[in-house]
Amino acid sequence: MRPEIGTILGLTAQRIVMGLGDQGAAYAQGSAGLIAILLSASAKEYERGADIRFTENAEIRALFAELAPSVADAGLRRELQDAAAAKDKSLRISDLNEGNYALRRLLTKLQIDAEEHGARDRRQRIWAVLKAMAQRRLVQLGP
Amino acid sequence: MKELEDRLCSYLRVKLGAPDLVVTGLSRIPGGASRETYRFRAHYSSGGKKLDRGLILRRDPTASLIETERTTEYRAYEAFYKLGLPVPEPIALELGNEALERPFFIMSEVENCAPGTILSPDPYGEHREKVGKQFFTVMGKIAAADPKKIGLGELEGAKDVNAAAMHELARWEKVIEEDEREPQPIVRAAIRWLKKNPPPPAQKISVVHGDYRSGNFLVDDAGNIRAILDWEMCHLGNPLEDLGWAIDPLWAGPDPHKPGGMIPRAEGFRIWEEASGLKAEPKELLWWEIFASLKGAAIWISAALEYADGRNSDPINAFSGWYTLAVHNKVLADRLAELDA
Repeated sequence: MRPEIGTILGLTAQRIVMGLGDQGAAYAQGSAGLIAILLSASAKEYERGADIRFTENAEIRALFAELAPSVADAGLRRELQDAAAAKDKSLRISDLNEGNYALRRLLTKLQIDAEEHGARDRRQRIWAVLKAMAQRRLVQLGP
Repeated sequence: MKELEDRLCSYLRVKLGAPDLVVTGLSRIPGGASRETYRFRAHYSSGGKKLDRGLILRRDPTASLIETERTTEYRAYEAFYKLGLPVPEPIALELGNEALERPFFIMSEVENCAPGTILSPDPYGEHREKVGKQFFTVMGKIAAADPKKIGLGELEGAKDVNAAAMHELARWEKVIEEDEREPQPIVRAAIRWLKKNPPPPAQKISVVHGDYRSGNFLVDDAGNIRAILDWEMCHLGNPLEDLGWAIDPLWAGPDPHKPGGMIPRAEGFRIWEEASGLKAEPKELLWWEIFASLKGAAIWISAALEYADGRNSDPINAFSGWYTLAVHNKVLADRLAELDA
C-alpha cells in the first residue's frame, strides 16, 4: 500500500506537533477526525500488514507455479517459474513490498498473455487471485 | 490567519468598491480537498444598505488531490448560477499571486446547510427520497444544458461525440502512468478492458461536472439541495460520465443499488432521462461505471503520491490513497471478473 504506515505516522506526528488549531476550530475538528480514523486503521495494519503481504506473495507464486506450464511463450514461462520458486527476503514490510511489486508486474504480464490467447480458465484463475488480493487489502475502519 | 484576513479585507474593499468593508471570522473548513477552503463574513455598505454576507474563499493549495483549474470551477459556477441551478453565487476570481499569495476565488456561502458524508449509512435520513429526486434532476439539467449557449463551449474536454470516452480514458491513464509508484494490476486490467470495449458515440457533448456525487452538495433541514459544489474537474464530454460516477459503489453506502442511500438506481435513471432528454442505456452506462471506478483509482493514486512525497500532508490525502483506492480496487476486481466470466 502507498502511503505506508511509517509515512502516515510520521506525517501525522508532524502535523500534530505543528498544531491543528491554527486554521480554525472547524478545520481542526475535521483533521482530528480523519487523523483518528487513520491512526485506528494504522493500528490494524500494524497487526496484519506483514501477513497481508506474505499471503499475497505466496498466492501469486502458487498461481505462477500452476499456470506456467500452460504458457506458450518460453520467456514468460521461465520468468513465472523463477518467480514461483523465489522466496521473500525477510518479513520486513519493505522486503515483502519489494517482492510484491515484482510479482504484481509479472502478474500483469501473465494476465495480458491470457487475454491475448483467449485462455478463459487461466483468466478466471487470475481473477480469483486478484479478487482475493483486493478483498484482503480493504481497510478496516470499524472496531 | 490574521494576516490572511487583513489581505483579504484589502482585496475585497477594492474589488467590491466598499472602502468600509470589514472581514471577520475567517476560518478554514474541511472538505474540498483540491483547494484550501475558508469561511468568513464581510460587513460593508452598498447602495445605502448595510450588508453582512457569509462568503467562501477557495485558494489554490501548494499541492492537491488532482491538478485542477480554478478558472474552470469559477466559470461553471457563473454559468449554472445564471441558469438557476443550485450553486453558490460567484463573487470574484483572482489569478495572480499578489493579493493572497496564490490564485483564489470567492463565492457566497450557502448557509444553514450540510453535505452528506460517504461514511454515513443514511446521510439524508427522512429526506432521502426528496434529496434523491433532486439529485438526479439537477444532474439531468446539467446534461441538458447547451455548453455553447451557457458560455462553457471552450471548456477542456472532448468536442466530438466519437472521441469523448477515449479522451477521458487517455487523460486518467496519463495520471496513473505519471503517479503510480506501486504496480496496480487491477487498475491496469481495467484500462485494457475499457480500451477493448469502447462505448457507442456520446448522445451529445455536455458539460460534465466531473465529481457529481453524494457528499458534494449541500442540503438544508427541509431536504432541499441548495448547492452543487466542487466543479473543479468540470469539462466537456459524455453526460453519462456524471451518471456513472454518481452511482459508483464508493458513494453508494451499504446498498450499492441506492446511490448515497437516496433512491434506487432505476428510479434515478428515469428521473435523469426525463430531465436530460437523453437515454441511460445499460450497456453504454456500464462502460462509464467501470470508467468511474478507474478514474477514482487514478485520483487516489495521485493523492497517495502527493502525501507520500510530503507535498501535501493533509490527512485526506492519506485516507484517499489508502482506504478509497482499496475500495475501488475491490469494485473493479469484482466487476471485471464477472464481465470476463
